[in-house]
Amino acid sequence: MATSISLSRARSDSPLVNALSVVPGVLLLAGIGYAGKVLEHSVNAYAKAHHWTFPNIEYVLWAILIGLVISNTLAIPRIFHAGIATYEFWLKIGIVLLGARFVLADVLKLGGISLCLVVIEITLSLALMTLLGRLFKLKPKLTSLLAMGSAICGVSAIIAAKGAIDADDEDASFAMAAILALGALALFTFPAVAHGLHMNDVSYGLWAGLGVDNTAEATAAGALYSDAAGKVAVLAKTTRNAMIGFVVLAYAIYWAGRGQAEAVTNRAAFLWRKFPKFVLGFLLMSLLVGFHAFSKPQIASLGNLSKWAFLLTFAGVGLRTNFREMSKQGLRPFVVGALGEVLIACLTLGLVVGANRIWGL
Amino acid sequence: MSDLTSTTTTSAKRNTLSLDGWAVIVALLLALAVRFNVLKNIPW
Repeated sequence: MATSISLSRARSDSPLVNALSVVPGVLLLAGIGYAGKVLEHSVNAYAKAHHWTFPNIEYVLWAILIGLVISNTLAIPRIFHAGIATYEFWLKIGIVLLGARFVLADVLKLGGISLCLVVIEITLSLALMTLLGRLFKLKPKLTSLLAMGSAICGVSAIIAAKGAIDADDEDASFAMAAILALGALALFTFPAVAHGLHMNDVSYGLWAGLGVDNTAEATAAGALYSDAAGKVAVLAKTTRNAMIGFVVLAYAIYWAGRGQAEAVTNRAAFLWRKFPKFVLGFLLMSLLVGFHAFSKPQIASLGNLSKWAFLLTFAGVGLRTNFREMSKQGLRPFVVGALGEVLIACLTLGLVVGANRIWGL
Repeated sequence: MSDLTSTTTTSAKRNTLSLDGWAVIVALLLALAVRFNVLKNIPW
C-alpha cells in the first residue's frame, strides 16, 4: 500500500506473535465502531427527548468520523498499526456473511442487472480515465492504474495490477492516494445527492456500488443511506470486483505486448490468482440459504455478525484516511482522478436511472 | 544464511492462502458455528 495510507504490519515467523500483534489495533477498531453505535443511539435519544429536529446520523458515519478525527489529529502509536490494517479482512468476512441475507433469486436478478451495468461502467470508466490521463500528460502506467482503480475496485485493483503491468511503487502510491481521497469524499457526497434526488434504496445501492471505487467506501456509502441500500451496494460492488481478473489480464497483455511487462503464460491461472475469492464465499452463503441450510433466527444472526464485521471496517476506513499525507502525493493525479470520478458518478447515475426505467428497480 | 533462506522459503510456501481465502474460511467457520448453535441469537 502507499506509504501515506499504509499501516505497517508486524512480521514474525511465529504465528502466535503475528496473531497477538493485531490485538491492540483490532480492539481499537472495535472500540471506535462501538462508540459510533453508542453515539447513534444516544444522540438520537437526546434529540428526541428535547424535541430537536436532528438528522439521524447512523453509526457508520460516527465510526468513520471518529476514525478520521483520530488519524488526522493524533499520531497513532505503532502498536495499533497491524490491527488497524486488518479492516479489509473484516470487510471480506462481512461480505461473505452478508450473502446469507440474499435469496439466490435476488442475487441472480439484481446481480444480472448489476452485471449489465458493471460491463458498461467498466468500459466507460476505462475509456474516460485513459483519455483524461493522456490529456493531462500523466505517465501511461499511472494512467492505467488510475483507470483500473476507478473502473473496478480501487486499491485492490491497483495492487493487483501493479505487479501485472510492472508499474512503479510511486505510480501505485499516487493512484491509491487519489482513489482513497476521492472515496472519502464520496462518502459524504453520494448520500447527499441521493437524498436530493429522492432515490429509492435499490437505485441508490446500485449507484453506490457502481460509482464508489473502494469496496470499504462503497459498503459504507450504501449503509449510510439505509440498510437495504447497503445490501444492494455490496452486491453491485461484488459484481464489479468479480471483473478484476479480466481487466488486469487485458492490461497485462497490453503492456507485455509493448515489452514493458512480463508476458502472461497461463491465463487461466492468472485469472484465478486475481479473482477475489470472497465473491465465491458470498455466492456460497446465498446458495446455502437457498437450500434452507439455516433457520430464520440463524439467518438473522449471520446478518448481525456481518454488521459487526462491517463496524470494524468502517472504523478502519476513518483511521487509515490521513488527508495531510495524501496531499503530499501531488495534485495532478488527484485532479485527473477527481474529474474522472465526477464524470463516472454522473454516468453511473444516468445508467441507474435508465435501468430503473427499464427494469423498475 | 542458507538455513535462514530455506526457513523463509518454507514459511512463504506454507502461507500461500490469501487474505481473501482466510476471510472466506473464517466466515464459513462462523456460519458453521451459527448453523450448529455454537453461536446463537447474535444481537445487534
